[in-house]
Amino acid sequence: MSGFDLVAAGPGMGREQSATDTAEDSVAPGNPSVTALREHFAEAVFRNRICAGDEDVVYVDPERITDILGWLHEDADQQYDHLADVTAVDYGGGRPLEVVYQLWSIPHRAALRVKCELPLDGLAIDSVTGIWAGANWLEREVYDLFGIRFNGHPDLRRILMPDNYAEGHPLRKDFPLRGRFSRAEQTRRALTQDPEDYYVPGEIAERIPQVVETGSGAEGAAAGADDV
Amino acid sequence: MGLDKPGVLGSGTPAFLTTRLDFVVNWARRNSLWPMPFGTACCAIEMMASAASNYDLARFGMERMSFSPRQADVLICAGRVPYKLAPVLRRIWDQMMQPKWCISMGACASSGGVFDVYSMVQGIDTIVPVDVYIPGCPPRPEGLIYGLMMVQEKIRGESLANHAALRAEDPLAAGRPRADDEEVSDLTGPFGNSTHQNRVSGLVETDAIGRAEDRLP
Repeated sequence: MSGFDLVAAGPGMGREQSATDTAEDSVAPGNPSVTALREHFAEAVFRNRICAGDEDVVYVDPERITDILGWLHEDADQQYDHLADVTAVDYGGGRPLEVVYQLWSIPHRAALRVKCELPLDGLAIDSVTGIWAGANWLEREVYDLFGIRFNGHPDLRRILMPDNYAEGHPLRKDFPLRGRFSRAEQTRRALTQDPEDYYVPGEIAERIPQVVETGSGAEGAAAGADDV
Repeated sequence: MGLDKPGVLGSGTPAFLTTRLDFVVNWARRNSLWPMPFGTACCAIEMMASAASNYDLARFGMERMSFSPRQADVLICAGRVPYKLAPVLRRIWDQMMQPKWCISMGACASSGGVFDVYSMVQGIDTIVPVDVYIPGCPPRPEGLIYGLMMVQEKIRGESLANHAALRAEDPLAAGRPRADDEEVSDLTGPFGNSTHQNRVSGLVETDAIGRAEDRLP
């Protein structure tokens, strides 16, 4: 098949060699974390492979994602303290969606990619915001564009598309390029939004608690006196 | 009579000029066009280059970029506008004082450009009325300056006699799309409203707009 045939065949075709179908269960990892993961979570680590020469990818059980990523974050030999990205991939053709966690260990200078496959009729996974607070907006983006729900997320709502967007989740393979509504309807809906809905001062104040520290010493004592 | 004072054309000439009111009003308006920059993409880089010293828009009366819409005369929409930004663009246009003009700079602002996708406004003329479209991806500063000079030409032809008709605005239209549904469908057919502009130009034969199945996904 040439590249043009693949285009004509539609999304997801020509990927028979992808990990989703026929990858070998295990290849020798270049990253010691993969071996350690297999020891600790034997049944939850489905397979691993190496991408682009030296990037280790581990496919794990979505049910145990918070255990696995929490362990990778906490364990002294792993210390993946930086969550570089959370994203998702839709290969189309009814294949499961993959949620991708791109990890980086600052102390060990090691990268690891963890993937979870979610079936199309069960697009939900536990949130990792409890492990990395920075996952908050990344998971919102994945929810917005792929429709994957993150259980336990503190604020799961759209982040890129408008709040009143009703056409679905744009990066899914079954989403038409120009959207589901006519251009006239899209224009009308767009102008019904209030731009200030996205920048509500009260909401910002509510989400970022204003902590007023009372200093020690003379100034603190004076301030304390004023409080009474 | 003022003949004893130094005159406008030198000593001994009159210290006053007579002119048509239309001319002097238009002269003042077209030589003090303060732009409201609405730069969202790479076109804004060219717009900044136009305002910088090498091209120096100030020579033509665009003395400064007015970052407050209330003190601006011409809205320069430079770059692609997603639907989420459409109400912002409309509100800025509503906030500008009359008389006001609008320039759609670049392919994306004029027709959606290559972004014929779910998230992108297919030409800002569906949102606000546009006076001058500048083609290019992005246009060079010369293009922007030429577009602004076309606005100046347009002002030259205006008259206070038809000012009310030219500048009439429906207060109920604030915050609403400029084009009705039929016109939006027409403007945003396949390949954006560049196809529409080709058709109305009469210079290019195309039946692409007529294929209704292309309009919807």
